[in-house]
Amino acid sequence: MHEKKLSHRMKAFFSKPSNILLVIFLTVLFVLSVLPLLTMISNMFTVHIGTEKKLLRLPEGSFTWNHFQRLFPVSEWSVVNFWKPLGNSFVVAIGAGVLGILIGGTVAWFITRSNMKYKKFISAVFVFPYMMPAWTLALFWINVFKNSQVGGGNVGMLESMFGICMPEWFVYGLFPMVIVIALHYSPFAYLLIGGILKNMDATLEESATILKAGRFKIIRRITMPIVMPAILSTFLLIFSSGFSSYTVPVFLGSAVKTFTLSTKMRALINAGYQGQGYIIAFVSIALGCFILGLNQWVTGKRKSYTTVTGKSGQVSLVDLKKANTPLSLLLCAYVLFFAIAPLISFALESVIRQPGNYHLSNMTLHFWIGTEASAYETGMISGILLNPTMWKALGRQVLLALIVAMIVGTSGMLIGYSCVRQRGSRLSRWVESMAFFPYLMPAMAFGTIYLAVATSQGFKFLYGTFALLILVASIKFLPFASRSGINSMLQISPEIEEAAMVVGVPWWKRMVRIMFPIQKSSILSGYLLPVISVMREVALFTLLVPYARYLLTTMLFSFNETGYSQYGSAVTLLIVLIIILINTLTNKLTGASFDKGIGG
Amino acid sequence: MKRIIACLMLVCMLFATFCGAAFAEGEDAVQSALTAAQSMSNEELYEKAKEEVAAGAQLNFYSTTSFAEKAADNFMAAYPELAGKVIYAEIDDGETYTILQNTIGSGVENSADMALTQNGSDLRTFMLDEGLTYSYFPDMYKDVVPEEFQSPAVVTFIDSLFIYNNTAGDIGLTNVWQLTEPAWSGKVFFKDPTNETVNINFLIMLTSPEWTERMAAAYEAYYGEPWASDEYESASYEWIDKFLANVNYTYTSASDMAKGIASGAGGNLGLFVFSKLRKVDEADRGNLTVVQFNNEVEGFSGFMYNVYATVAKDTECPYTCALFINYLLGEEGFAGENSWNSSQGYYSPNSSIAKPEELEDEAYDYWSDKLVFEDADYIYDNYADVFEYIAVRVGN
Repeated sequence: MHEKKLSHRMKAFFSKPSNILLVIFLTVLFVLSVLPLLTMISNMFTVHIGTEKKLLRLPEGSFTWNHFQRLFPVSEWSVVNFWKPLGNSFVVAIGAGVLGILIGGTVAWFITRSNMKYKKFISAVFVFPYMMPAWTLALFWINVFKNSQVGGGNVGMLESMFGICMPEWFVYGLFPMVIVIALHYSPFAYLLIGGILKNMDATLEESATILKAGRFKIIRRITMPIVMPAILSTFLLIFSSGFSSYTVPVFLGSAVKTFTLSTKMRALINAGYQGQGYIIAFVSIALGCFILGLNQWVTGKRKSYTTVTGKSGQVSLVDLKKANTPLSLLLCAYVLFFAIAPLISFALESVIRQPGNYHLSNMTLHFWIGTEASAYETGMISGILLNPTMWKALGRQVLLALIVAMIVGTSGMLIGYSCVRQRGSRLSRWVESMAFFPYLMPAMAFGTIYLAVATSQGFKFLYGTFALLILVASIKFLPFASRSGINSMLQISPEIEEAAMVVGVPWWKRMVRIMFPIQKSSILSGYLLPVISVMREVALFTLLVPYARYLLTTMLFSFNETGYSQYGSAVTLLIVLIIILINTLTNKLTGASFDKGIGG
Repeated sequence: MKRIIACLMLVCMLFATFCGAAFAEGEDAVQSALTAAQSMSNEELYEKAKEEVAAGAQLNFYSTTSFAEKAADNFMAAYPELAGKVIYAEIDDGETYTILQNTIGSGVENSADMALTQNGSDLRTFMLDEGLTYSYFPDMYKDVVPEEFQSPAVVTFIDSLFIYNNTAGDIGLTNVWQLTEPAWSGKVFFKDPTNETVNINFLIMLTSPEWTERMAAAYEAYYGEPWASDEYESASYEWIDKFLANVNYTYTSASDMAKGIASGAGGNLGLFVFSKLRKVDEADRGNLTVVQFNNEVEGFSGFMYNVYATVAKDTECPYTCALFINYLLGEEGFAGENSWNSSQGYYSPNSSIAKPEELEDEAYDYWSDKLVFEDADYIYDNYADVFEYIAVRVGN
C-alpha cells in the first residue's frame, strides 16, 4: 500500500517537466559545483607540500587548525594578510555594487521610461565597458590620470593635454578600484534592471498617475519594488565580482600599497600558504552566500514579481521637458568617455613606440602588421594580425565562447523555467542556489581546484584539453544565465502557460512557442552574457590552458604582465571589436542584442 | 553480493599494484636513462633522441623566459630530425610550481617533460624533494661549470640591478643605506616581493650571516658608527624594514618598470631585471643609467638569480631532454642567434662562453662581489621565517 502510494507520488512528481529538469540539474550541479567546493574546504584543514609542511613539521595531507589560527586571531600577520585587505575588499565590493546599480539603473530608467534623445547610441555604447576585461579599464584609467606628481611620475593623457594633475587618491587606491569595477559592471545593472523596466506592466504606473501619485512616489512605491529582484541580483553579482576581483586591485592598488583579499589570496597560495589562501577564498564565498540568502529572502517574501501578464498596455514615457537635451548630452559625454575613449586609447597605445609620446613620428603599425623581428625585442616575430599563434588563440577563444554560450544559455533558461515553476519547493531552492554557487567562488580558486581535479585519478584525460575549458567555463558562467533565466521567467505569469496546457500543447512546444518568444530579449541575454564573459576571462583559464598563448585572453594577460603593452592594447581592441561583432551579428540574425533587449 | 564486492576490491588492488609498479618502473627508467646520458656525446644522445621521437615522444618544456622559445627553435634547427618535436609552453612565474606539481606524474597527456624554472628553493621544495623532477648534468661540462651549479643544472643567470632615470642628473647612490632614508620615500621602485619569488629570495638572502655582516659594514661606512639596535634582529632586517617602507610598487612588471622609469620623473630609481632594458624604446634608453656602471655601491648593486633545468620523472624522452640541456649549456645554445647571450643581463654558468663585447655589460665574474647571489639552500632553510617578516612589511 505504502509502496503504491510512493510510486503514485513519484509518478506525479516526474510528470512535471520542471521537476525532471530540477533533478537533472541538481545532480549535475552537485558533482560539478559542490564537490569542488568540498575539495576547497578540505584544503583549509590540510597540510600542503612546501612551506606548510616545513613550518608545521607534519606530513602532507595531515589535518590542521593552524591555517585558521594564523589568519583569524588579531596579530601583525593576520592584520596585514586578512583584516586590512578584508576591509578594503568590503569597500570595493559594496562601493562598486551601489555605484554600479546607481549608474546602470539610472541609465536603464532613462532609456526605457523617458523620452530621452540619442537612446539608440547611448544604449548601444553603454555596454562596451562590460565587454572589456576589467583590468584593461584599470589600465585606461591609469593611462588617462597618471601624472608627474604620482606613481612613477609618468605623464598621462589628461596632464599631457590639459596640464591637469589629479591627486594620488584619485589615480590609485580604493577610489579608482570602486569606479572601475562599477563602470565595468554597470552594464549588467542596466541589462537586468532595464529588461524588467521595459517589460513592466505600464497600467500599474498609469493607475498611480490617475490616483494623482507624484513621479517620485511612483518610482519609490511601484517601480522600485518591481525592479527589486533585479537590483538585488545585480548587487550580488557586482559584490561577488568586486570582492574577488584580482587584476583591478593589482593594477590600481599596488602603487599605494592597497591590497585586497584576492591579491592576498594569490600571494599566500604562491608563497606556499595554500591553506590560508583557500580560507580567504572561502570567506568571499561565505559573504556571497550571505547576500544570496538575503536576495532569496527578499524575493521569497514578496511572492509576485510578475510584470508580463498577457494584458500589458502601452509603456508611457516620462517627458524630460527642458532637461532632455542637457541630460541626453551629459549621458552621451559619459558613454563617450567611458565606452569610446578606452577604445581610442587602446588603438593609440597599440601604434606608439615610445610610451606617452603621441606624435605621428612615434607611430608604427609594427605591432599589428609588422613582418620582421623588431628592434624592440617583441618576443613575437610579427604583428598580431600576421601571427599564426594569435589567430589560433583567437579561434579557440571564439569557439569556446560560442560552445559555452550554447550550453550555459540553454541550461540557464531551463533552470529559470523549472525553478520559477516550482518556486518555494526545496528542490527549486537548492538548484537555484547551486546554479549560483560557482559565481561566488573566486575564478582563481576555481581554476586551482579544477586543475587538481583534472590531474587526479579518473579525470586525467581532461587536463590540457579544450573540453576542460568548456566544462569549467560552463559551470563558472552558468550563474549569469540562470539569474537571467529566473528573472525573465519570474515575470511571466503562469496563467499564460496554463492556458496552453489546458488546450493540450506539449511542454517543448510551450517553451519554444510561448515562453521563449515572450522573454526573447532576456533569454538571449542569457546566451550573450557567457559569450562576453568567456571572451574576456583570464583568471579562470590561467592554470588550465596548456600554455600562456593558448587563448587570446591568457595571451593578452601575458603581454600586459611582461610589458608588451602595445601588443596588449592591440589584442584588447581586437577582443572588444569581436564582441561587438558577435553582438551585431546576433542582432541581425535574431533581432536581439544587449541594447535591443531593453529598449533603445 | 559480498563476494562480488570482495572480488571487485581484489581486482582494483591488483590493478593499482600493477599500475604503481609500472609507474615506478617508468621513473626508474628515466633516472637510469639520465645517468647513462651524462657520459654520452651529443651524437650518441641525438641517436637516442631520434629513437624516442620515432616512438611517438615529444619534448614538452615549460619555461618562464621567452628566450627559451628561441633556444628551442635553434635546437630543432641544429637537430633537424627533432623538428616540431620540442614544444615550448610559456607559463607565469607565480603559477609554475602549481602547474608542474599537479601535472608531473599525474599521467596527463602533454604534461611537462622538462622545465626551466627560477627560484631554487621552491624547485627543491616542490619538485626535487617530492621526486617529481630529476637533476641532470652532463660530464662534458663538468670542468667548465662550477660544481655548485651542476645539481640541479643552472642554464643561465639573470641579474636585477639598480637603474635610475638620469634626466635630473646623478643620484649619487653610493651606499644602500641611503635607500632607507626618508628622502627616498616613494622614489625607489621594486616589484612586490610577495608576488615575485626572485625578489623575496633576494631579501631573504640579505639575512644570511655573510650578508648580515656586509650590511653592518655598509651601515658603519654610511653612518660612521657600528650598527646596534634593540628593535631589529640584525642590520639586514633593519635595512629590509626601512627599504620596504620607501618602496613604490607602481609598476607590476619589470618591463613596465624599465619603460616607466625611463619615461618618468628624473631621479627615480628601480631595482629590476637588467635584460628588460631591451624593451625600452631607443629614444628613452639614454635616460637610464645602471648605477654600477657609474660608481661602486657600498653594500650591493643588485642581485643575481638562477634559472634551472630539471627533467620530469615521467618523461618519455629523457635522452631528448638531456640533449636539449647539453645544448643550452653549450656555446651553440646559449650564444646562438637571438639567444640569451645576445641580451644584457644573462650569463652562462659555462665559463668558456664570454659576454659579447658590444653589449654594455660585464662578465659573470665581474658581478661576483657586487651583487647578492641566490643560495637555494639558505633560502630553503629560512624561507618561512623571513617571508613572514617581509610579507607583513609589504602590506603595512
